[in-house]
Amino acid sequence: MNFTRLALRSITGNSFRSWVVVLCAMLVAGLALATSLILRGAENSLRLTIDRLGADIIVVPQGAETKVESALLMSTPASIWMPDNVVGEIASVPGVAVVSPQLYLSSLENASCCSVSSMFLVAYDPATDFTIEPWLEKKIGSRLSLGEAVGGMHVFVPLGEENIKIYGYLISLKANLEPTGTGLDQTMFFTFETARDIARLSPTLAVKPLEIPLNSISAALVRVTPGVDPHEVALEIFRKVSGVTPLESPNLFLSYRKQMTGLLHSNLIVLGITWGLSLVLIGLVFSMAANERRRELGVLRALGATRDFVLRSLLMEAGILALIGGGVGVVLTTFVVILFRTRIIQSLSLPFIFPSILSLLVQVVAGLALALLSVALAALVPAYRISYQDPANAMRE
Amino acid sequence: MNKIAGVLIIILALVIGILPQFTDCQSQGKELTLTTGKTVPMKCHWTAIAEIGMAVPLIAQGIMLFLSKRKETRLALSVTNIILGIFVVLFPTWLIGVCANNMMLCNNLMKPTLILCGALVIVIGLITFIMAYRKVESVA
Amino acid sequence: MIVLDNITKDYVLTKESIVKAVKGVSLEIQRGEFVVVTGRSGSGKTTILNLMAGLTRPTSGRVLLDGVDLWSLSDKKQSWLRSQKFSFVFQFPSLIPTLTVMENIVLPVIFNKDHWNSDAASQRAGELLKMVGLEEKRTVYPRQLSAGQQQRIVIARALMNHPEVILADEPTSDLDEQTEGEIVDLFTQIHREEHVTIVMVTHTSQLAAYGTRSITMAMGEIVN
Repeated sequence: MNFTRLALRSITGNSFRSWVVVLCAMLVAGLALATSLILRGAENSLRLTIDRLGADIIVVPQGAETKVESALLMSTPASIWMPDNVVGEIASVPGVAVVSPQLYLSSLENASCCSVSSMFLVAYDPATDFTIEPWLEKKIGSRLSLGEAVGGMHVFVPLGEENIKIYGYLISLKANLEPTGTGLDQTMFFTFETARDIARLSPTLAVKPLEIPLNSISAALVRVTPGVDPHEVALEIFRKVSGVTPLESPNLFLSYRKQMTGLLHSNLIVLGITWGLSLVLIGLVFSMAANERRRELGVLRALGATRDFVLRSLLMEAGILALIGGGVGVVLTTFVVILFRTRIIQSLSLPFIFPSILSLLVQVVAGLALALLSVALAALVPAYRISYQDPANAMRE
Repeated sequence: MNKIAGVLIIILALVIGILPQFTDCQSQGKELTLTTGKTVPMKCHWTAIAEIGMAVPLIAQGIMLFLSKRKETRLALSVTNIILGIFVVLFPTWLIGVCANNMMLCNNLMKPTLILCGALVIVIGLITFIMAYRKVESVA
Repeated sequence: MIVLDNITKDYVLTKESIVKAVKGVSLEIQRGEFVVVTGRSGSGKTTILNLMAGLTRPTSGRVLLDGVDLWSLSDKKQSWLRSQKFSFVFQFPSLIPTLTVMENIVLPVIFNKDHWNSDAASQRAGELLKMVGLEEKRTVYPRQLSAGQQQRIVIARALMNHPEVILADEPTSDLDEQTEGEIVDLFTQIHREEHVTIVMVTHTSQLAAYGTRSITMAMGEIVN
């Protein structure tokens, strides 16, 4: 017989109280972990995407900022155009090292000539590109030729086929990029030459032709000279080049960041309410239990238990229940977030990538700690009151 | 505890049987067109059908678990629940599968829900098994 | 051994209503005595017992245990004394319901860990269980025992730590006559064989004959 065994016996002997505390702890830990996982996941994803883009500044047509962000983050196809002479204008701005134009296209929706539906397609200029080509060199040791593409993590050749059909044109998938948790994972990248070839052949091969406006581009990726402040360069581009908006990488996806902040606030409110209610409920349940067990605790005091022993014993019971509930809560939450991550991304319209093992462990421990703290706090007052009661009074009817 | 387990199994069984009927591609109006021009259901539809085959015995198991008083019966029911739970998970993941495109409802809702429900059935089965086993041991 | 020096105990029910449970009682219990305290309900006899063991604080007066004022000690020291020197047999069922009979008997060991290892504790508990005649009940729970059997187990638990004093508060009040006789016989046997000082409170004046000394209380005072 020892202290821990006494606490465990008390837990199993009072199943209603134990279940209530376990459920509250589960809720608190689970909700806290879900909030932190989703928001950290979204933040990580945004950062990975910005790293993937590799650009210090993305220049887009004025007014198209939101469309571009949606395209990059959620693979919502965007049809945005600006004259291709802006490339030369941007290149002449002091501090600009490289300018690489891109075309944003989209496959047809549910068309028989496409083996994918409404996929976001990005065409790049291999002569100036500084994101895809270097990665390709490292990964497959070669560049993309005509009719070849590289895809995000979720781009794949349909079962039973050897190529992906876009506007009736057969594309060979050479490699898949690492996941970002954003729309880039469902995006296909090929060269300007391939895009123009698709457009040229689409009137005969596709149910609807691919139209690329003449002398137009969708966006220009800018890398600044090392040591130069990208913000200053962005301001210069804004002043000197008309009809465009330069988006600095750190400021990219501001609307999504605002959305995340909004989500964080509302989640924190829900978490706060749940936490408060749980504290009250656990406090009530412990008060009831402590009252019911007045005599039993009085007997323990008579047998030689100190006040401190009774207090520690009650807090240990609370702690064990918190750990059980919190443990189940974090495991269940992790499991659910892993299983339903695509659904979560779609429902919240936010990107998401699962954190590293270390980051996950930290968040799990934080969730558990919150559950433990909550239950201990809630149980403290009734436990203190009962442990400091006169044993003779405690044992009276 | 066993009554609660029985009720939970019944609820999970209902989800396992009913949810796929509304989340497979067939219910979304999507079918596979063969080269002959004929349309056939996608494999997620067959997974949905198979899960009905799991849900019905699970409901019966849940009812029996709710009503049973003998520890030996509960032991047997727990084992069969675990096996059924395993198959609930295997149908959408390995035995038949669902569509590969993760943007489709069968992939991002039906499959994870079935995995979660199957896992919960297995966990409940394990818990009821352990409880029944301990009771049988102590009586012996 | 135990000295109550001009003890009073008041219970404050409301600002206007104070119950004087014990009024200026002085009493000395010598080592080896079997003292039976009798009196009607509300005479203060249970309060006297609680005061002796430090389970309730006196309003005035002193409680001395082997010359030491109990209330000059810290809670830790008092609790230690309670675990070492005293044992209790209460009127109400005082076994812990979530522990088996065996676990209830060895429970006092938690507060006395320096003196016990688990093998010695199990052995002692087994001997006590045999002494009270309930060996076959070691793994059952209190709810599966009769009131008389529960009291026997409580007595076994009371002897676990080799106490110097057993304080019994109306240990037979919920029992039938035959069982009452068995329990009091058990106390007599313990007094004789274990040389334990016993203070037993009862409202049954016939039980006074079992003790080496008898005290009668009424309205918070010793009358006899």
